[in-house]
Amino acid sequence: MSHPRHSKGSGSSQAQYMDVDEELTLSQTQTLSQAQRNLEHHSPRQVEQKVNEVVQFLLIKDQKKIPIKRIDIVKNIIKDYKVFPEILKRANQTLQQVFGLELVEIDPKNHTYILISKFPPLEGDTMNDDENTPKMGLLIVILSLIFMKGNQVKESAVWEMLRRLHIDCSGGKHKVFGDVKKLVTEEFVRQKYLEYTRLPHTDPPEFQFKWGPRAFKETSKKQILQFVAKIQNQSPKSWMGQYNEAEAEASAAGKP
Amino acid sequence: MASDSDGEEQAGRRGAGRGLPEEDIAREDSEDMPTRRLIRQQYRELISTVQQNHELMLSTNNDKLTEALEDANNLFKGVSCAREAALDAQFLVLASNLGKEKANRLHSDMIVFDPSAFAEDLLSLMGLNRLERQESDSEEEQAASGFLPNNAWHKLGEEAKTYFRRAPVFHFMLGTFTPDPPAERPRIERQRKKNTSDGNRVMPAQLEKMEGSHQEATEKEVERILGFLNAYYMEDPDTPISFLEFVTDPNSFARTVENMFHVSFLIRDGLARIKLDHNKLPVIEPLNSRGGENDEDTQAQKQAVISMSYQEWQNIVKTFEISQHMIPPAPQPLT
Repeated sequence: MSHPRHSKGSGSSQAQYMDVDEELTLSQTQTLSQAQRNLEHHSPRQVEQKVNEVVQFLLIKDQKKIPIKRIDIVKNIIKDYKVFPEILKRANQTLQQVFGLELVEIDPKNHTYILISKFPPLEGDTMNDDENTPKMGLLIVILSLIFMKGNQVKESAVWEMLRRLHIDCSGGKHKVFGDVKKLVTEEFVRQKYLEYTRLPHTDPPEFQFKWGPRAFKETSKKQILQFVAKIQNQSPKSWMGQYNEAEAEASAAGKP
Repeated sequence: MASDSDGEEQAGRRGAGRGLPEEDIAREDSEDMPTRRLIRQQYRELISTVQQNHELMLSTNNDKLTEALEDANNLFKGVSCAREAALDAQFLVLASNLGKEKANRLHSDMIVFDPSAFAEDLLSLMGLNRLERQESDSEEEQAASGFLPNNAWHKLGEEAKTYFRRAPVFHFMLGTFTPDPPAERPRIERQRKKNTSDGNRVMPAQLEKMEGSHQEATEKEVERILGFLNAYYMEDPDTPISFLEFVTDPNSFARTVENMFHVSFLIRDGLARIKLDHNKLPVIEPLNSRGGENDEDTQAQKQAVISMSYQEWQNIVKTFEISQHMIPPAPQPLT
């Protein structure tokens, strides 16, 4: 199973390092970019090792679902900014071909990355069943509320929603989630599922929730609308405004 | 929605212009009858098309109603007489009704998102036991009432997961491994450094003290033994004191050796001397009063090593029938 992938991978690395002249004429349609020239200072084996180390680093870092900073990848693994783009590109290739994951930059300004699955989840996938499952339930409720209420909601609306679902957010420990307020305003925020910002000119301060960049990457307005429609046993078109918005987002993203 | 407001707007505009052709009613008999007939026919066709495609016109997915209104607008450009204008008005009534119906249907289609209804449906999915909820319903809408099974959120999570392209978390087959030990490492190093520096600071002080006290203790012990030697000598200056009897402690080999060690200081400092008696056994006597400087010279010339094993000590105790020590043990153990 891994054999064809392997030969493919090594083929491309050979193309760039081992027989540069010959392979260039044969298969390399792209020009020798600056990044590739930088890579020539390293042996193919070194490069491959770095790529593998980056892959491992990303997989382990992803366990906590906190976006991975470029500086951490450089500091811990690559140690050389010049080769970073090329190594990361290859690590992404490996992640896609071997693990079915995709590395996405969610913050182009601060250069942070997350991993998302390339494939939709399988029905009844019990392998993937862990202590995070209930959290995803909580998360989708909040994301639904935010989207259905016009892409931003006051904090109080979220707590009210959770109260209806038998979750007390006034400091008590929930038997599944523990400190729910902390989970929602800290963990989900750090993982970039949610954005939690203070409304300007509010005294006492009021906060609102929005979708975070990870939410946009891992799911979509269309998906969330489908979830709401399924739960409420309605057609997604029942909510015209949200439906049009979701469709617009989907066509803008280029996925049907 | 957009098509609706367009329609109404157009209708208004056309309504305002409706009076125009009636002013030119006098020209009805002119030679443009064929044109007028054509216009009338086109109006009738338009009206019948709109009537026949009633449902299509009402659909929110197309702009057919707007298109029909635009067609009528174009036709109206050629209208100059009341008869055609009346047809236009007839169409306008039809279009207005359609517009109104369409607007109504839009409202009936649109559901405003209701969080509480959403919550209720979520609770159903999560398996809320409604019966138990009803019991406590008396205290108004108590959110904590009702019974949610333990796996309620798990169930919802399972459903939720299918809407996310979340990367599965990487697991180690041989148990858990926390991926972030670096947080603790620097702390350990710091502690270690502290320890070593503390040790360096304390150790010299301690050593000095120990050496000092040890030296002092030895000196004290030597003086104490000299005191005993002098006392025994004074008791009976003519009987020589047996060295072996003097140092031997019948109860402790260790103290015997210690005594020999301390006595050797007395000999070295010229405070006592050891000589053999007629039985060739060593005897000891203090030197302080008589003799003086001469003896120091002779003493400097001679050195001797005395050894004693545990067996020898046992033999000595037996042979000399020593039952009591001549030098009582120091009142306090060293240090």
